[in-house]
Amino acid sequence: MATAVRPRPTSMMAATARIFDLSFSQMLWSRRSILLALLVAAPVALALGIRVVSLVAPPSVFRVNGGVIGGDTVFGLMVWLLYIRFVVPVLGVFYGTSLVADEVEDKTITYLFTRAIPRGAVLLGKYLAYLACTVLLILPSLVVVFFLLAPIGQGSIGGSFPQLLADLGILAAGLAAYGAVFALVGARFKRPLVAGLVFVFGWEPWVLFFPGYLKQLTVAHYLQALVPHAMPADSGLAGLLRAFRTVPPASWSLLALGLIVVGALWLAVRTVERREYVLEQ
Amino acid sequence: MPIHDQGYRRYAGLRKAPGRAWSVIARTGIRTMVARKPFIALLLLAWLPFLVRSVQIYAAANLPQADFLAPDARLFRQFLDQQAPFLFFVTVYAGSGLIANDRRANALPLYLARPLTRLEYVFGKGAVLAALLLFVTWVPAMLLLVVQVAFAGSLAFLRSHLFLFPAITLFSLVQVTVVTLLMLALSSLSRSSRYVGILYAAVLFFTRAVSGIVYGVTRDSRLSWISVSSNIEQVGDALFRLPSRAELPVAVPALVLALLVTVSILVLQRRIQGVEVVS
Amino acid sequence: MSLVVARGLSKWYGQVIGLNDVSVSLGPGVTGLLGPNGAGKSTFMKLMTGQLAPSKGDIRVLGEPVWRNPSLYHRIGFCPEQDSFYERMTGAEWVEALVRLNGHSDDDARARTRRALAMVDLESVADRRIGGYSKGMRQRVKMAQALAHDPELIILDEPLSGMDPLVRRKTIRMVREWGREGRSVIVSSHVLHEIEAMTTNILLINQGRILAEGDVHHIRELIDDHPHKVHIRAEQPRALAREFLADDGVLSLALQDDALVVETAKPDAFYLRLTALAASGACGAVREVSSPDDNLQAVFRYLVK
Repeated sequence: MATAVRPRPTSMMAATARIFDLSFSQMLWSRRSILLALLVAAPVALALGIRVVSLVAPPSVFRVNGGVIGGDTVFGLMVWLLYIRFVVPVLGVFYGTSLVADEVEDKTITYLFTRAIPRGAVLLGKYLAYLACTVLLILPSLVVVFFLLAPIGQGSIGGSFPQLLADLGILAAGLAAYGAVFALVGARFKRPLVAGLVFVFGWEPWVLFFPGYLKQLTVAHYLQALVPHAMPADSGLAGLLRAFRTVPPASWSLLALGLIVVGALWLAVRTVERREYVLEQ
Repeated sequence: MPIHDQGYRRYAGLRKAPGRAWSVIARTGIRTMVARKPFIALLLLAWLPFLVRSVQIYAAANLPQADFLAPDARLFRQFLDQQAPFLFFVTVYAGSGLIANDRRANALPLYLARPLTRLEYVFGKGAVLAALLLFVTWVPAMLLLVVQVAFAGSLAFLRSHLFLFPAITLFSLVQVTVVTLLMLALSSLSRSSRYVGILYAAVLFFTRAVSGIVYGVTRDSRLSWISVSSNIEQVGDALFRLPSRAELPVAVPALVLALLVTVSILVLQRRIQGVEVVS
Repeated sequence: MSLVVARGLSKWYGQVIGLNDVSVSLGPGVTGLLGPNGAGKSTFMKLMTGQLAPSKGDIRVLGEPVWRNPSLYHRIGFCPEQDSFYERMTGAEWVEALVRLNGHSDDDARARTRRALAMVDLESVADRRIGGYSKGMRQRVKMAQALAHDPELIILDEPLSGMDPLVRRKTIRMVREWGREGRSVIVSSHVLHEIEAMTTNILLINQGRILAEGDVHHIRELIDDHPHKVHIRAEQPRALAREFLADDGVLSLALQDDALVVETAKPDAFYLRLTALAASGACGAVREVSSPDDNLQAVFRYLVK
């Protein structure tokens, strides 16, 4: 028998980095990334369509209440309705809930949990891989959308550019926060997707309408507070919300999002380290 | 013969007529879902709006000061609108794994090796979801009509709103058929029920978001046919003889829904195979 | 030195008992964990590899508690039963990634991977995607990932399942070889002759309980209340039968063509007598003597009944 040369015990950080290495390319090139690709390409395609229409159609097409809508308004709409309310939460639900659940479902979790690494590193490494994948793809998509839409209605790219930078940061913060929350949901619940969808499309939209402290139990409350663009009133209720919403200060929102990320990840790591994963026979 | 053969014997009993196998799939599927406590909790939650509306109908019928709450066609239309979130969650919970789980377990060849056609298989699976969805749409809506008659103590409302029977039935059928076929088609595309659930949410909410953006930019509701849920809502408005939410003739959303149903059927036809060709 | 020590170890899943008050000590060498499906073999292995926590009692592997002790996994290699992989990776990539997770450097991981794949005869397909592997290759690459980091204890859960006869033989030989090299291996199976081919040291488990442990022949001897069957092919089986008829240790005699099958409760005395008769030639030549139940199948049947 060969004499075993034992490496030093792997630290949490080193183990996380190795799991990140393993997971990043898998996440990027798996068949399920078709969804990610669609969510990246669809807003670009929509923005391209709007841009083409703005070039060929009469200016009256892009008018609200008699006034011509500028590119920054259109971009703001896209950011609100597509990215903040849809792309970011959906990606958070999809990837966050499946960080560990996919490995359990595929029964490959055994290989990771019988390595000389803390279990929590598996979750953290995969979370970082998710964040890297999504940030590296969604943010450039937003940039392309910006450059397509900003010039509409004599809009200024330079003038709106600081807003783009803010939007990029907000999307990254949203991906981090939703991903962390749903990593916890995925670690704790047996059917995390339903719980995630209930949170994103049930709890958050409804609770934001009600006055009081309940809205502080959402990610959207803090994330939406950071968005520099005016909230669209795409329905009567949305109009009411716009009129009566309380917006926390940006610094507090950022802090809250940071606390959500750290807190959710810490709880998720704790859960994964203590939980037994019994694989289906 | 004094000594009986203990070996294998062919079944010599009665067999049901062919074409009924789908009911076995449906029964088993429904039983499996209903055995899950979280799902029962979801179904119970889905009936809360029914309770609220029943109270409203009771108040309108029995308290003169609550006259303004009197039911009309709009109440039933709004009720079915309010059931939409439950429709969504029940569809994701019960529907996402219907075919995906079979694909994951390589069970399709096992099913189709039996005297079961692909149509029966799809019908059986669809019946599972459709039955559960009708339980949270058509059944409570029809019960509300019964409740109205019971609390009002007369058939007057019913006589003046006879169209509500076919309206509720047809609208529920449209909702359930479109949603069921769409979910089955998506479920046949993947082996992961989680992925299917997200895909379904993406289709619904992405199309709604795009429709919202287009409306926000143009203030023109004629492009609302982009949104799947918007199309269903507009068909519902027409069936309940209410003004449409969009400036579109009902034929347009109806056509879009028909197209969606057709595409779903084509996807199912392609994906439900007893063998998988590995290239 | 005991590699695995379980004391009062129990594991239940809700109402279902997976392992029931198991106290056992497994030493070095190759140990076969034998039991029917649902006996608790996989549960025991999962407890040994820290995937599950004991509901009661404790288990120590290589002297340390195993649950939530990842540093111990350097010393354990586990080959699980399930056929699941990262299908898009090549065999080499996958094994190397897992070795790196154990803390080895890139170069070291690469070298170990090549060695492990060579050991399981997968060198020629190391750079092919696992998704394109045959069932036997998939089992072997699983074993490679269990060996690559050179563990002190290798735990194999149904390693021969799905393998064709040739690969099966090769694998059995490999396990025996590891035992001879001084590695410790715990291998589970419900196929008796497979375990018998790999080792005589077994742990018999059924319905979550340990039925017996130790050398299979020794266990057989200890099963006193089950008589031994002896199959004798002789020139004059009837004459032999007449000789044994009066023996009080002989419980039954059966004639089969040119053979006599004897059931005896006192095998030692019986063999002495048979040897004497064969040597004297009083009942003709004795051509062959064998014991149909001095094997694992008989032991298993007796204990599991």
